[in-house]
Amino acid sequence: MNVKKAISTGAAITITIVIILAVAAGAWWWYTMSTPSQPKPAATTTSSSTTTTSVTTATSSSTTTSTTTQTATTTSPAKKKVRVAVLFDVGGRGDLSFNDMAYLGAERAQKELGVEVNFLTPKSLNDMVPLLEQLASSNKYDLLVLIGFLWTGPLNKTADKFPNQKFALIDSTTGVVRPNEMDLLFREQESSALIGILAAAMAYQLGGNTVGAVAGMDIPPLWKFHIGYLFGVKYFEMKTGKKVNFLWQYTGTFGDPQVGYTTAMQMLQQGAKVLYGLAGLTHIGMFNAVIDWNNEGKGKAFAIGEDASQEWYAPQYIPLSGAKRVDVAVYTAIKDVVDNQWKGGIVTLGLKEGGVGIWDLDGVKTFAELAYQTHQLKNMTPDEVVQIVKNLREKYIPQSAWQLVNELKQKIESGEITFKTPTTHDEYTHIIQELMKGNLNAALAKGSIS
Amino acid sequence: MSKEVRIRYAHYLTIVLELAISAVTGFMAGAIILWSLGYNPWYIYGIMISMGISNPDYLLSKATPLLLTGLAFSVPMLAGVFNIGGEGQLYIGAITSLVIAYYTGNAVLALLGGFLAGAALGGAIGALKAFRDVNEVVSAIMLNWILYFSILYLIVDKLYNPLMPQQSVPVPPSAQIGIIPFPGGGIHGIFFIAVVAALVTHYLIYYTDLGYVLRVSGLSPKSASYAGFNPKKSIVYSMIIGGGLAGLGGALLIQGYVHSIDTTMSTLYGLGFLGIGVGLLGWNNPLGIILSSVFFAMLIIGGEMVELTAGAPPELADTIIGIIVIALALPYAYKILINYVRRWRERI
Repeated sequence: MNVKKAISTGAAITITIVIILAVAAGAWWWYTMSTPSQPKPAATTTSSSTTTTSVTTATSSSTTTSTTTQTATTTSPAKKKVRVAVLFDVGGRGDLSFNDMAYLGAERAQKELGVEVNFLTPKSLNDMVPLLEQLASSNKYDLLVLIGFLWTGPLNKTADKFPNQKFALIDSTTGVVRPNEMDLLFREQESSALIGILAAAMAYQLGGNTVGAVAGMDIPPLWKFHIGYLFGVKYFEMKTGKKVNFLWQYTGTFGDPQVGYTTAMQMLQQGAKVLYGLAGLTHIGMFNAVIDWNNEGKGKAFAIGEDASQEWYAPQYIPLSGAKRVDVAVYTAIKDVVDNQWKGGIVTLGLKEGGVGIWDLDGVKTFAELAYQTHQLKNMTPDEVVQIVKNLREKYIPQSAWQLVNELKQKIESGEITFKTPTTHDEYTHIIQELMKGNLNAALAKGSIS
Repeated sequence: MSKEVRIRYAHYLTIVLELAISAVTGFMAGAIILWSLGYNPWYIYGIMISMGISNPDYLLSKATPLLLTGLAFSVPMLAGVFNIGGEGQLYIGAITSLVIAYYTGNAVLALLGGFLAGAALGGAIGALKAFRDVNEVVSAIMLNWILYFSILYLIVDKLYNPLMPQQSVPVPPSAQIGIIPFPGGGIHGIFFIAVVAALVTHYLIYYTDLGYVLRVSGLSPKSASYAGFNPKKSIVYSMIIGGGLAGLGGALLIQGYVHSIDTTMSTLYGLGFLGIGVGLLGWNNPLGIILSSVFFAMLIIGGEMVELTAGAPPELADTIIGIIVIALALPYAYKILINYVRRWRERI
């Protein structure tokens, strides 16, 4: 290829791409000219009736709170429809966890509140800032719901530029209070405390006295799990008088099943009977270790999942999963906008709000069905999963343990006790040291246990 | 009209025809898939293009790393080396520039560090190929993963940001590459640096002795030896240039746009592999690659928006992008493949 030829190649490519762009732009123009005749998607027309009712109830219940929205609703009551965009984490749907739960929550809001929801999956962290800017400056959405911690930095950069755009960040916080930003966090201590009681009880049922947890990185959200889980174990110790060994290991990663497998194997060799997975993809390796441990006849051990219901992964060996209801958080944020209850700042969801908990059999079924649809659940039907889990729970969790759980749950839900959320690593290690000594009240911000 | 000019115009016309036909084929094939799945193809294409170019800053910033990894693929390709390691070279450039920027706060030093780190890695792959006959594809892919996990270890364990543990420490403001003000919003400066790099590469390939040697050895290593050139050296040199450009891409992305790497590696992952498509789409011509990188970035950005506006799953947009790119790159990729096989035979 000589020089002139090289130059002309470049020029030819330029011309061609310009032609392609021109043709496509022409097509776009032609399309926009003909849009009015285009039928709208079916979902819009069917749900419009429900919107009207929800809007009118909102108008009648809150008479003269905000004048601007009032006038907007009275002039065109049928057209005022709350529009929401849910922005997933990188990777998007199909994770059977965070993103799928966010989708379920948004779907529920669409059905029950009559809002219009659009979804978007960013390609990478690099795309998050421009996407937020593009959506915020388009003024099309009343609320942008951001799923997952990766959005924290990008939101922190953009939120101040768009004071009229509402943002809801799920399961993370920028650490800055803004009137247009709501950070929804979970009080994971509350659910993991209940899990701790059940884990200890199951360990005794399996003929051991050791429980463990395979954790991800040593970061604030995991501190809350550590405190709650240890609290639950010590609560069990105090109420039953039975000693429980407690193992806790940070693997330093949320994405490496191999590390999860080896860590779990070490704990099982140390006599752990129940392992709690708190490391995302890493604890899938923990599940595999528990499955192998049982199948190789080395003893009986159970695993506990977290966030989504993960019982379907191995229902014979996973009797429980802690729930982190991303769907509830998404729904709550949308509902606040629909009801004109929006307030910036941090909102925490705990047992009382249904934000955390232990998945019941309906939840187990929902996720087993999701897994079944995506062909990740093989060799059994969702109903069989539910049946196996039900039997497992009846066989290995004694009534006395459920009583302890309900007792503690009641104390938490009534607000009699609340947990501390450590802000520094020193505070966290101090709480853990005190808990290990049996001082349960060190973990409590309010109330006491006796 | 002289004969030479007529031949040139014929060549010109062939390229235009070839590209136009493959573009039409690609868009039509995509349209058939969209239509059969119940979407309006023109509506989807309209979104992809209009939304893709609606934010010029986003478009050009997204194109920047693609432009450089495209060059990282094409320069070695011209010398007859298949550089699939643009991914790893981008990683090492990004992490080197981040570390240098973090500790020194000097933008130029960090950029240079990124370039040199990528060049060293590329040169190492090239040297293995030239002097030990290690297949460059195998060594490059293995190095990609070694670097992937090494960087993950560094940003999770050593360089994490205590305030945002999901991200590495940020590039300090003094080492960041700024935004050039334009009417209607600024544009990140990194794209213009990348364009300058592409122009320099173009000059190097088509106007210097080194470029001539590279191209001759690429077309026929035997003729190169006969002419007194050392084809082994040109393999190493082309990989040094290609690796350096990919490393520069990583450095520009980190210093000029995202300022930190996230612990899921979404910041860097895949940019090197996309570069292969960009290089082929640009016909291994640095000027063509400038355009093809922008075209690619437009499709990717527009593809994200398809989910939002049309409710289609994100995989659909990726499929359509794949079809269009393959159709556009196919005539040239075919030529390259023929040449690669011929060259391989010639060596034996």
